[in-house]
Amino acid sequence: MGKLTIGCFASLVGSTNLDFAVKLAGAALDKGHKVDLWVSGNGTMLSLQDQRAFKDYSYLEKPVKELMEKGLNVTACEACAEARGYHDSNTLEGVKRFSMDWYLGSTFDADRVLHIGGE
Amino acid sequence: MKLAVFVSDYRMTVDTLERLKPEKMGIILVQNGVYHASVKEKGKTSSILDSSADLFALKEDLETRGIDPASIDSKVKVVTFGDVVDLIFNDYEKTAWL
Amino acid sequence: MATTKLGFIVQRPGYKSENPKLALTHAIASQSVEIYLDDEDEVTCDVAFIGDGVLNCIKDQKAVENYQLNSTESHIKMALLCDLNIFVCKEDLDKYGLTENDIVLDANEMGGDLEVKVVPYEEITKMMEEMKHLLFF
Repeated sequence: MGKLTIGCFASLVGSTNLDFAVKLAGAALDKGHKVDLWVSGNGTMLSLQDQRAFKDYSYLEKPVKELMEKGLNVTACEACAEARGYHDSNTLEGVKRFSMDWYLGSTFDADRVLHIGGE
Repeated sequence: MKLAVFVSDYRMTVDTLERLKPEKMGIILVQNGVYHASVKEKGKTSSILDSSADLFALKEDLETRGIDPASIDSKVKVVTFGDVVDLIFNDYEKTAWL
Repeated sequence: MATTKLGFIVQRPGYKSENPKLALTHAIASQSVEIYLDDEDEVTCDVAFIGDGVLNCIKDQKAVENYQLNSTESHIKMALLCDLNIFVCKEDLDKYGLTENDIVLDANEMGGDLEVKVVPYEEITKMMEEMKHLLFF
């Protein structure tokens, strides 16, 4: 089994890139792979706790929690989060916050990297 | 280089795809990229379908957009998220999200 | 000792989108990645500007003056100071009628030695082949 590092820079609400990233992460975990998910830029919105589920907006708190229980490692860019007013105090339990070098560190031993950064 | 390219838009804002010349390329149509597998403009199919790359389209994203996976161009193979994971790990070395 | 090489490919202009800047700031973060690695392991980052992405390299950007934001130009210079290889596609510069005189080429005033490499697209293809992973912005 291998390691997949996914980077996603798109917002939770306003794009389905994060939905794609989380579904792919789940599929990779189901196949026994290790998965790191790095969210940066607007993607740090994923790290917010108490997301409210409306059917008109992407809602990923529940699936992300379930995947973290299966071993998904989620880390948010700390500076990107702070710049948006997302603080430690309102970060989803289990999501880590580090500087950008964490992402590069994760790629070091990753067998595959999928960077979802366009837009 | 064996490269899996994710095409997530129908109208591309970059021309990178046509410039990539890896030894082996797979184009995985996801999100709005799946329209390349089904839409014909003035009767003509997407130029992506003329590519020599192996072509895939994500079943979930086809269905989400009201496209019957059975109806898409025969050059394109319908895949699930699980299949995408296998493609990434088994068939290609690197990925590009355009 | 092992090295993982990352290729950052910037294909879009900046400012309207944050992503080209994030490409540079993430690449620059390779300077401090050792804290996550074993001794002597490293992650290196090369950055290539292609397509509309070459517009990020136009010099004399006044983002601080107008928006109180660090310019992409300053990030390119910082990347050069950190000894990152920066490639700019010559054919794409030509397409926009830009020459080396129009773009950021060095960080000499900050004490940097490394210069931006204006190269044919073929050279950028070779770089992409040499990298373990590619990150497109």
